[in-house]
Amino acid sequence: MIPDNNVVGEVSTNMDPYIGAWTKEQAAHLLRRSTFGPTFQQITNAVAAGMNATVTNLLQIPATGLPLSYDPNETISTTGSTWINSVYPSDVTSAQLHENARIKSLGAWLMKRINTENTTIAEKMCLFWQNHFAATLAPDARASYTYHTLIRTHALGNFKQFVKDMTIDPTMLLFLNGATNTLYSPNENYAREILELFTIGKGPQIGPGDYTNYTEEDVAAGAKVFTGYIVEGLRSTTLTSVVSTYYDLLHDQTTKQLSVHFGNQTIAANGATEYADYIDLIFQQEQVAHFISTKLYRYFVNYDITTEVQTNVITIMAQTMLDNNYEILPVLQQLFKSQHFYDIAFRGAIIRNPLEVVFGMFNPSQSVPNFSLATNSDMYISMYYYAQTMGQAYGTPPSVAGWIAYYQAPAFSKLWVNSTTIKSRFDLANYITLYTGIPVNGSNFKVDALTLVNGLSAPNNAVAVIDDLCTVFFPKALSVSQKTLLKLILTGGLPDFEWTVDYDAYAADPTNAAVSNPVKSKIEQVLSRIFQMPEFQTI
Amino acid sequence: MKRRSFLKNMTLASVAAPFALNGMNYQGVAKKLFNYSKSAEDRVLVIIRLNGGNDGLNTVIPLDQYENLLLQRPNVIIPQPNIIQVTPEIGFHPVMTGMNTMFNEGTLTIIQNVGYPEQNRSHFRSMDIWSTGMLDVAETRGWLGRYFDGVYPNYPDGYPNATNPDPFAISMGYEVSSTCQGLMANFSHAVSDPYAAVNLVNTGTANDGSYYGSHMEYLSILINQTNQYADTINAAANAGSSLSTLYDTNNPLAMQLRNVAKMISGGLKTKVYILNVDGFDTHDSQVSSTSPITGNHADLLKRLSDAVSAFQNDLGLLGIANRVAGFTFSEFGRQIASNASFGTDHGDAAPMFLFGSCINSGIIGPNPVISNAVNAQDAVPMQIDFRDVYASILKDWFEVPESEIQPLFEQTITYYQVLGACNVGLDELVDERDKGIVYPNPMLNNATVRFKCQSEWVKIELIDSNGRTIKQLYDSNLAQGIHHVPFELHGLKAGNYFVNVNKASGKETIALVKID
Repeated sequence: MIPDNNVVGEVSTNMDPYIGAWTKEQAAHLLRRSTFGPTFQQITNAVAAGMNATVTNLLQIPATGLPLSYDPNETISTTGSTWINSVYPSDVTSAQLHENARIKSLGAWLMKRINTENTTIAEKMCLFWQNHFAATLAPDARASYTYHTLIRTHALGNFKQFVKDMTIDPTMLLFLNGATNTLYSPNENYAREILELFTIGKGPQIGPGDYTNYTEEDVAAGAKVFTGYIVEGLRSTTLTSVVSTYYDLLHDQTTKQLSVHFGNQTIAANGATEYADYIDLIFQQEQVAHFISTKLYRYFVNYDITTEVQTNVITIMAQTMLDNNYEILPVLQQLFKSQHFYDIAFRGAIIRNPLEVVFGMFNPSQSVPNFSLATNSDMYISMYYYAQTMGQAYGTPPSVAGWIAYYQAPAFSKLWVNSTTIKSRFDLANYITLYTGIPVNGSNFKVDALTLVNGLSAPNNAVAVIDDLCTVFFPKALSVSQKTLLKLILTGGLPDFEWTVDYDAYAADPTNAAVSNPVKSKIEQVLSRIFQMPEFQTI
Repeated sequence: MKRRSFLKNMTLASVAAPFALNGMNYQGVAKKLFNYSKSAEDRVLVIIRLNGGNDGLNTVIPLDQYENLLLQRPNVIIPQPNIIQVTPEIGFHPVMTGMNTMFNEGTLTIIQNVGYPEQNRSHFRSMDIWSTGMLDVAETRGWLGRYFDGVYPNYPDGYPNATNPDPFAISMGYEVSSTCQGLMANFSHAVSDPYAAVNLVNTGTANDGSYYGSHMEYLSILINQTNQYADTINAAANAGSSLSTLYDTNNPLAMQLRNVAKMISGGLKTKVYILNVDGFDTHDSQVSSTSPITGNHADLLKRLSDAVSAFQNDLGLLGIANRVAGFTFSEFGRQIASNASFGTDHGDAAPMFLFGSCINSGIIGPNPVISNAVNAQDAVPMQIDFRDVYASILKDWFEVPESEIQPLFEQTITYYQVLGACNVGLDELVDERDKGIVYPNPMLNNATVRFKCQSEWVKIELIDSNGRTIKQLYDSNLAQGIHHVPFELHGLKAGNYFVNVNKASGKETIALVKID
């Protein structure tokens, strides 16, 4: 086995615009990295539109719907309306039942957004930020909704403003103890993580309590700066939302002294907006742009930061970010149009995260549950749990650093798969293809094999079907023998024209189960195999 | 600081060295044979990770520092009457009844003030340090991964095989353990359900040297191993048994340990099991605002103590207690002063627990000294380097030669006697566990001598290095059994001493180090 750090090859680290061929290969690579799984049609559309238009199209955050009440335990808001501004009942047990109902609705909403994303980076970016500001669910679903809305609002926006708003977001205040950080008892939790994980990052420890970019003094000073905010309205019977409120009496009014790493600057008492003064000082350090650029690079391109990548790529990304006052969009624009991004070395360089597995199976066939609101929502909750079993529960990252596969060297994305989670991946693959599908309330949800095959370039041609499926599901070409095996499954070992006969019969009479079922089951068998191939586990 | 450097440079090293008077212990003890597993091949190490930073000061409570602790952490401290008194100087959190029993039965060691120099208070960096066993940021392999790499250099190529049919390490749950990360692959195999049957499909692209190729090879080997290991794990879990009635089915750690007991008793040759308990990052609500003996930390410690004691009980009933040892660790302790959220922030050193029938001693290291001045961010300073504890475990438990252990670590190793009690040959005459010990050792002012006797007269004396009797510690008749006799040495100068336990059934001499 060749260790990763020995992987060699001519890797272009040129950040100039990509001018090579623009075919399904490049378009699919861009879409696989920026969405949870493109359809064949989306790939061909991107080829037709060209790289620039496709990137512009991707880098937009469309409006999204609201989480809707559907659980019978929800009695304050009516079924089908939203609960995001609904109070809680006074009875503690009943309030908990409402919380459970609302959290389920929120989880379903998050999954539905991914399942119906279209050609936009929005959902990939939101997951990026959930991993970055890795707060877990608040004890009030309305606060969790606000947190996820804040993420979506700033997903491609200004990183500095994002950090400021996140600092006083109720969910974050609760998660890292900002809500109990007062003059009388500073709590360092947020002050530490904002430096270590959210903005400047921790460098090597070069002295007692000195982490190159900041020191323990800065952590203590930051804790004082952030004092004074509390969270109000949790499960309130009168307040319709959870808010953070500043109380001057709880704020530390001293002048805070920062370390040499921040030029020994001080922060004067400045009440409710003092936290923003401090964040402005943090963002004066260019290291912040390097830190977040590195994280974006690892998420969208590759985990391996070689010296060349550091010098020629990360530095350029960071400079673009600094030139644009910490705007995220120009950085991604540059990255997704760069020669570096389209280098063949990065095809399949990332192992799919669990959500990319689940929705990488459903989205390319536009398989969207279409039952009642309650059944659809519970289907989405099932998908949420499948991803959780594979190691990624969207609303509850394992720690404030996010999921380990995004930061733990040397294995990085390999950490998504082990003997237990690989089995969960394969179990789901079988479940939604060969078996009954996800069962909820007497309904079953499977991959929509017929929609998938109908959307391909020449669905009655066995060779073309396999070629197109490979384009959709695999980052690199399969070997001839692998493709032959998939075609054998499709044709049942018969000559290729037998598939044409079967498909044409179905196309002529699509509502006739006698001719549609054989086509459907063949595609399902092929998909079952595809989803269980190691090649599918990468993007 | 003076005490710390003294400790580091000399005292603990001398504890680990052979004593001049060793050998006297065996006089006059009745001969008996016992079934030691001499071969380190059969031994199993169980590692329990307390994820988040365990508050050591509310786990192992230094009773002699209680007044100052009360000043520093008034809203989280356990009220004195509720504390389980383990020794005159040390108490346990009230939920730790199981571990208290283990301590009294001689199957639990407390190692105090464990950490590493220049403590890093980031969860992630600190956990990396504990996992790799190195302060070097460039190291990515785990401390066990490095050890396994040396023994099985080409892993995972060619594994499993006829000689090594079982996983080297099993991580209970959904994640592999970074302690077992090797150069090419992780030596631990994630098992959430040892009864699950697995038969995964494999195909695969050859590794062409690209990132993609390396993933293909990784996945392909993983799938093959998963299929093959699943068979042996399955067979062992089905063949194994569990006899203890103490496991609580609502305690996830207990259920995982029960599965570990079944796999071991079922004949699995896996050497290391790793378990994880989340939730120790108790910045807030560490204790309930209405009752400091309840709350999140109490729940966590109860689960830990109950589960480990049930496991130890099970190992005894299964007759495999001498083959299994374990320890707990956390990335750091917490600060001495509490915060207003009924919690504590990231700190430095904390105690480790070692458990098993082959432990050497009850307490290693003296109590931390708590100041009466409340300084924000102060924490318990490190006195014992965890890397030395790891090295000592490799030496005592897996009987790795010192010449092979030193290259695995960056510091000059100081060995402690941790798990050597079963390392006597079959021709040796005494169960090391029946030997008298003094704990803590080294000691400050208070310590306890633990020894076993027949129904007989026992006279205990403290003598100095010149053989002069300094103090009489005990002189009376005792019933048959294990006894704990506490004593005080206020005002005695630092140095080496000996405790003589004079009994009709034989005299025991125990070396003791006193520090200021």
